[in-house]
Amino acid sequence: MRASRSLIAAVLPAWRGLALSLAVLVATASPRMQTPPDIAVVVNATVPVDGLTIAELRRILLGDREFWTPGARVTLLVRAPIARERDAAIKTVCQMTEAQFRQHWIGKVFRADTATGPKIVYSAEMALDQVSRVPGAIAFIEGPVTSKNVKVLKIDGKSPGQAGYALR
Amino acid sequence: MRRVFGGDLLRLAVLLTALATPSRVTAQQHDMDQPPPDQRQYPSLKISGFGDIGYSATHLPEGAKGFSLGQLALHMASELSARVTFFGEISFSARSDAGTGAPPATGFNAEVERLILRFDHSDQLKVSFGRYHTPINYWNTAFHHGQWLQTTIARPEMIQFGGRLLPVHFVGALVEGAVPAGGWNLNYKGGVGNGRASVISRAGDPGDVNGDRAWLANAFSKPDRLYGLEFGASVYGDTITLASSRQFSEQIVSAHVVWQKEDPEIIAEFANVRHDEIDNPSVMWSHAYYIQGAYRLPQLNRKWKPYLRFEHVGVNESDAVYQGVLNLDGITTGVRYDASSFAAVKGEYRNWIRGNDTDRNYGGFFQVAFTF
Repeated sequence: MRASRSLIAAVLPAWRGLALSLAVLVATASPRMQTPPDIAVVVNATVPVDGLTIAELRRILLGDREFWTPGARVTLLVRAPIARERDAAIKTVCQMTEAQFRQHWIGKVFRADTATGPKIVYSAEMALDQVSRVPGAIAFIEGPVTSKNVKVLKIDGKSPGQAGYALR
Repeated sequence: MRRVFGGDLLRLAVLLTALATPSRVTAQQHDMDQPPPDQRQYPSLKISGFGDIGYSATHLPEGAKGFSLGQLALHMASELSARVTFFGEISFSARSDAGTGAPPATGFNAEVERLILRFDHSDQLKVSFGRYHTPINYWNTAFHHGQWLQTTIARPEMIQFGGRLLPVHFVGALVEGAVPAGGWNLNYKGGVGNGRASVISRAGDPGDVNGDRAWLANAFSKPDRLYGLEFGASVYGDTITLASSRQFSEQIVSAHVVWQKEDPEIIAEFANVRHDEIDNPSVMWSHAYYIQGAYRLPQLNRKWKPYLRFEHVGVNESDAVYQGVLNLDGITTGVRYDASSFAAVKGEYRNWIRGNDTDRNYGGFFQVAFTF
């Protein structure tokens, strides 16, 4: 009995230390485990739409829709591979892998459906800058959208940050 | 000395790293190396291409033996303005009669496969002129010279290169467009052109061989509710004038159903051809179909894609237009391995009967196909 008490007395501090360490680990890790910010679909302010359905957005991403209205051509801006905005757009909207998306666009140009693929942008800042300057431009932006001359589209009737927003 | 050696190692390491990681850079360059949209200049010529090298071994001699160079296809696209675009495609194909004849035949045939100038008004209306892949067959427009784009090595027999069953190329004008139609996403194409030349595998490039223009209409849907599905139908009409001056009225109806995702991928097409000799009424029907299934395996980085295809060509033997075109029943099975984002290795086994009262043939085929 005495032996078991001494064993508990010896082990208890170790358990307390382990529990404290775990608490610290959880506390420091929790910010990283927060859900990443929603990805906003941003267009030039002159674009004559305020919202799109996921299906409409998919048609734009896949090049099946090239005009907002007659005369107002869509200019699709997509982040370079690896960027989270690109991954989310390809996986969530197109339901494709990176390789499938690339093959789709090579085939699209090859079939003479369109002369060029999406334009690459290398940062959110570059994307916002181009969207603000190019009429008809559309891009995917993670984080706050502060530029002038752009607007954020609703997707399936929801804005970024709202519950049920599709692009995360 | 040791420092120099270390520096060489460092340089070598940098070089190897650069060589080992070209895919991302190349990927960006392939489809997206363009000036920012606000600095767009016209014309904006962009050249890409496809190539393939094959190997075949068959039980009975038929077609190429051993290694063979496939087509080298160069594709050009250039925006001439915000609404006007040029597309061109040139192929180089190895000739089996190279060096023979007088003057000696060249080693390769150069061919203008497509030459299109298109004016875009809107998604609903685009008008173009030129030489096209005849849009009455899904495979013909979706893959054509891009062997890397298609899952299999061989094209279906109904739309083989140089085949005569369906007109592969079309010279004329096309009107096309798409409307959302409540999520049905209806696409249409209507065209008028020269139709087939007197050698019916050829398009009427220098002009029509008779006074009757060919016409075509094509419509297909890609419904939002069943993303991945495409289905459609086409009709085509022409008057064929053979080298013998015999004239035939030709009508083609065709249909396709495609599930474009890769898990699974399904392509099925059917075409029915009606020939009616002018001044000698005798209607002859011929038909062809195929169904192909493939599945991108989720394991091993999704690089492997086994496939299977059944196909049939049934030609009316009394049809003078199709003299020399043989019936065919065949099965093709194989696997595609995507070695990189832009290169694939394919191996396949085919088993077929071509013509009546002939022995069944079979063979193994191998291909590396790429785009650049």
